[in-house]
Amino acid sequence: MPGTVKNYGRVLADLRAADAESFGGKSSALGELIAAGIPVPPGFAVSTAAYRAFVAGAGLDPMIAPAMSGLAPDDVDAVGAVSHRIGEAMRSAPIPSSVRDEVAERYAELGEPPVAVRSSALGEDSREATFAGQQETYLWVHGAEGVCGAVRDCWVSLYSPPAITYRARLGAGAAEPAMGVAVQAMVDAEVSGVMFTCNPVSGDPSMVAINASWGLGLAVVGGEVTPDDFLVSKVTREVVRRHVHAKEVEYVPDAGGGGAVRREVPSERRDLACLEAGAIDVLIEVGRRIERHFGSPQDVEWAIARDGELPSSLFVLQSRPVTTASARREQPEPASAMSLLMRTFGVEAVGSDPEGV
Amino acid sequence: MSVEWARIDGPVADRGSFPNPYEIETPPGCEGWEEMYPYYALFDERRRESDEQRFWFWNSMHFPLPMPAFDVFCIDSPYDGIGSWQNRVFAVPPAMGIDYRCVNGYIYISGNAVTDPEKIAERAGYFQERAGHYFANWNELYAKWRVKVDAMIRELTELEVPDLPEYEPREVVFENDRNLRFYDVLDAYSRTLRLGDLMWQHHSEFLLLGYGAYMTFSEFCKGHLPDIPDQHVAQMVAGIDVILWKPDAELRRLARLAIDTGVDAAFAEGRTPTEIDAELAESEAGRAWLAELEEVKDPWFNMATGDGLYHYYGSWLDDPSIPYASLIGHVAALKAGEDIERPTEQLARERDRLAEEYGSLLDADARKGFEELLALSRTVFPYVEEHKFFCDYWFLTRWWNKIREFGALLAEHGFLEDAEDVFQLSRHEVNGALDELVLTWSTGGEPIGPKHWPPIVTRRKEILERLADWTPPPALGVVPDEVNDPALVMLWGVTTERVQEWARSAETDGELTGTAASPGVAEGPARVVKTVMEISDIREGEILVCTITSPAWAPIFSKIEAAVTDIGGVMSHAAIVCREYGLPAVVGTGRATAQIRTGQRLRVDGSAGTVTILER
Repeated sequence: MPGTVKNYGRVLADLRAADAESFGGKSSALGELIAAGIPVPPGFAVSTAAYRAFVAGAGLDPMIAPAMSGLAPDDVDAVGAVSHRIGEAMRSAPIPSSVRDEVAERYAELGEPPVAVRSSALGEDSREATFAGQQETYLWVHGAEGVCGAVRDCWVSLYSPPAITYRARLGAGAAEPAMGVAVQAMVDAEVSGVMFTCNPVSGDPSMVAINASWGLGLAVVGGEVTPDDFLVSKVTREVVRRHVHAKEVEYVPDAGGGGAVRREVPSERRDLACLEAGAIDVLIEVGRRIERHFGSPQDVEWAIARDGELPSSLFVLQSRPVTTASARREQPEPASAMSLLMRTFGVEAVGSDPEGV
Repeated sequence: MSVEWARIDGPVADRGSFPNPYEIETPPGCEGWEEMYPYYALFDERRRESDEQRFWFWNSMHFPLPMPAFDVFCIDSPYDGIGSWQNRVFAVPPAMGIDYRCVNGYIYISGNAVTDPEKIAERAGYFQERAGHYFANWNELYAKWRVKVDAMIRELTELEVPDLPEYEPREVVFENDRNLRFYDVLDAYSRTLRLGDLMWQHHSEFLLLGYGAYMTFSEFCKGHLPDIPDQHVAQMVAGIDVILWKPDAELRRLARLAIDTGVDAAFAEGRTPTEIDAELAESEAGRAWLAELEEVKDPWFNMATGDGLYHYYGSWLDDPSIPYASLIGHVAALKAGEDIERPTEQLARERDRLAEEYGSLLDADARKGFEELLALSRTVFPYVEEHKFFCDYWFLTRWWNKIREFGALLAEHGFLEDAEDVFQLSRHEVNGALDELVLTWSTGGEPIGPKHWPPIVTRRKEILERLADWTPPPALGVVPDEVNDPALVMLWGVTTERVQEWARSAETDGELTGTAASPGVAEGPARVVKTVMEISDIREGEILVCTITSPAWAPIFSKIEAAVTDIGGVMSHAAIVCREYGLPAVVGTGRATAQIRTGQRLRVDGSAGTVTILER
């Protein structure tokens, strides 16, 4: 449909950090990754304006605002009831045709592959969004109808009980809620996992910690398996710690249709290390590039496609700053080289630097 | 800051303790060992109250063997030097100098802490100004040091030990320009001792500041990069083309020359230096090679065969079997087509790459500190790496030989049976014997010395031999709460954790822990080497277990699978060489030579810092 005015979407590769306001954190971060030359599955982003058009078009505002006002964040039953009511209303409301057409058109431009549909929340700290339950992901979605449905499901997650509670706690400080969505070609992952570009325990930035398991990333992210665990030096590429565990389950695409299914890992693969040295090298290289691009340690979700060969079969699905407590570990107090030197010799309070180093 | 590490109040029972220094028994047949040592070096009852409440550790790094009486010079004088610089010149705030005591011939040391906060503050003022000057002018001061040390070595080399002829030479009368021999002998002896003191003064000048700068960098790295291996810190700092590697580099060059000039057949496995020299002397090319060797000898054969502080450790000049063994090995390797070059360019690239990579991981502020401290560490490092060659090896091996000449003089006049026996007397006793010698030479009277000294020497040799079989505990006295004396931490690697491990490992068997100094895992039979005299026993594939190694041991590292030492940190010689050879090393285990026997199978994990005895 050439000539259609596209207001609600953008190709992921065109997004940058500055687009977070209009497309949410995840989509804009994926755009940044692509710009940095990181292999990211192709896709497009649906803007927060699409969400607003949906809410306005369906006349949901008059229903949502009173339901939310005066809601006590600790009242679990009340929050649950409001969440249910709003969710029902959103699910039965139509998606504006302008939005629907654009999503379908962009999906067609992508080649109509199976896709992952992920919510892309507003807010600077996407960790908080996770905490607030605003990070829904729908895997292995087929067809324009399916994609539109998944987009709406992402919007609904804005009113999940944790999201409501979170915003209610913030009170007047909570921004008007809106949600972007990222739609990406699905990677049929043979192996997937997460990678911290620092040691999450010690905070050491010269280390990379990798968790990996068979199949789609759900098993690792959801904590359903004890993944293989590698700690690798960025500087020497030496694997300083390697724990291979029995990986009982994996997620694979449902052969019969949409979604992913959980199945037992065949016994002959269960105890095998799911990453070889070569794959680790490729991961580390990509991790370092991401980290350099963003200028801080990153928490990266990745997958290695079943078809294809490394390095081109490695895809990065998401990257966000590491914000765990350990990564915020107490940095040594900033001190001049001379004062540190003096401290070695038991000089605690350094006066004026007599001659400099 | 707490500096109460040396003296501890209150009950010590729950902290555990090391043996009481006043309750150590004398091994049978060693009664009277005390007379070999100065009165002030003993655990004296009059000092018991304080001495038994202190923490003492066996300085096996410098004194792995029972001390001969003369060699006590190499305790007193270095501790004069270190103490003076640390306590009286730089006034390191929390720590003065090092006390030592002798038990059954073994040397235990303990630091003197400064505990008064006002005194610490006062010293901090001195330290900042004085050490600051040294750090700011390091290169200039080190250049001056090199000049002073060269002059000192030259003076020692030129110092003549006079003989005592029947008649003074004519010149005394007709030129009227010289002193008499009795004076010259006493003067030469006292000058020799003073030169020894001068060497220890120079030796200690930069010691603490140099190691301190390195330690600061190392701590900085571990603060910002908690998982950084010690060996990477060391690699970023260590020099590439330093004197430490020069003697072996010269031997490699000579090996190539032997092949290039067709005289390599002389270097057959199993030949002695004398046999090799004899064959070389028969051909023109061989003589040319020998002439080249003479060039190399000065100064590169001034390596000690051991870690310098005992009179037994001569230089390669005194005993060329180590460099010749190395030559034989290099020639064989070259003929087998191996590359024996030290990959200096690759090492330099790796050193710069590590520094760049680690630096790039830090934020701007931290990176600035990292680079300043790295630059400072690299500035001080030539001293750290080179002072041993000039002082401990070159000077000290010649100095012992000078003392041997006095021994020869005494032996010539019957005061000793052999020149070597001079080391069984203290430096003061030697002075006394020389006093009597010149007196009776002058007067023509009958000396009693020839009857007095030989039985003493015989008895002391027996005692030393027996004491060598005694195993000293790694520490005596109380277990300190904390060790924070900069000198003990920097020079001996004695930290709070290490001391607590010693206290615990008194009961544990089968596993020792130390500093992970060079990564990798190796298994093999142990070869326990307590003195340099035993290094020729080492066989291919063994794991070297020793108190400490020195650069002169370099040739054996191509034979061994791994190294384990009692004492030493990540910058110790064994650690540096093992990293170069890619061998696992665990250093500073405290008691490996006491717990491991030759032939036991070991597993050495140089990444974890553990040594497991697999077979008892």
